[in-house]
Amino acid sequence: MLGAIFSRRNDPRALTDPELVASARAGSADAFRELVRRFERPVYSLILRMVQDQATAEDLAQEVFVKAYRRLDTYDPSRKLSSWLFKIAHNTTIDHLRRGGLETVPLEAARDDENSAGLSAILPDEGVESPAAAAERRDLAKSLERAIGRLRPEYREAVLMFYLHGASYQEICEATGLPLGTVKTNLHRARKQLAQDMTAMGWGPEG
Amino acid sequence: MRSPDHDALTRWLAAERDDRSDEAEAALLELFEALPALAPPAGFADRVMERAGLRNAVAVRQGLFAQPWTRLVLAGCLLAMALSVLWLPQTLLVLLGTWSFGGLVDAAVGLLAGAGVWLAAAVRFGDWLYSLGSALARPLATPQVAAVVGGCLLVSTLAFRFLRDLIQERSWTHVDPI
Repeated sequence: MLGAIFSRRNDPRALTDPELVASARAGSADAFRELVRRFERPVYSLILRMVQDQATAEDLAQEVFVKAYRRLDTYDPSRKLSSWLFKIAHNTTIDHLRRGGLETVPLEAARDDENSAGLSAILPDEGVESPAAAAERRDLAKSLERAIGRLRPEYREAVLMFYLHGASYQEICEATGLPLGTVKTNLHRARKQLAQDMTAMGWGPEG
Repeated sequence: MRSPDHDALTRWLAAERDDRSDEAEAALLELFEALPALAPPAGFADRVMERAGLRNAVAVRQGLFAQPWTRLVLAGCLLAMALSVLWLPQTLLVLLGTWSFGGLVDAAVGLLAGAGVWLAAAVRFGDWLYSLGSALARPLATPQVAAVVGGCLLVSTLAFRFLRDLIQERSWTHVDPI
């Protein structure tokens, strides 16, 4: 019993998110490392799909965690840690996109981009399906990634948070600082735009 | 043969076409499951720790017993302990044989005398510190001097606080909320 309590107190992996933050604030480097490990995928994944470049995404994701570390005392434990990190990721990414002129992937470039080393190059292969189904799944994922990449940044961010990372409307509002109505509108318009682009890429009912 | 994702796609596009928003949302959620949560390159956490200035502390703490010389010293200590166990009974027997009651009394008296000398020295040093403290505190009994000293302490504390904030803010990028 005591051993279990002792090991739980010393193992950052057993801590809840607020406990992890409290431990990191108290100076535990192990706790902060665990925090990074726990959220590196969603944060990096969101940023990569926003900026569409692996090196930039890693740099920005690192910046997000460093900012989080320096601002741990501003975290409100009554809120989800992921929302707080997404908010920092949002600010960092939007700041970067503003500096770079809010670039998105143009339609023509995407069509010629089949063999490029972009996002589609790092999508995993599926080994449990038939070759035809796996190939179709890969093509579909690539097309969806391209369609997401062509969305306006604010639509893209809302779509990724809601559909990919399972964030609620409220969490998106907190992360982006947008009112609820705007978030819902952005998601609705983004969905329509995605459907339009996917149909244009040949994924319509007859595709 | 069509993949399950294609079925979700078909349902989504059909729902969008007919303006069935809830169904479209559900089908798109299903479709997004085909997209992986992309992982950062290996060693990402290490690079974050380094950038946050936490890498060295962790590396030193974790790497202490990974150093070859530390392991060598530890192995040497263990070997010395093992060898000493072999010789311990004989050494103890020799020591017990040379000891006598008179010798023990002499040693105890010598220890007490030494402790007394050290205690007297410590008392003298304490007395000197007390007189020094009294001499320094005498001017502070004057309200004017105490106020000046207090003011100086306050100014220096504020200056250090301002300097610390300034250093921290230098590497912080503020982004306006959108």
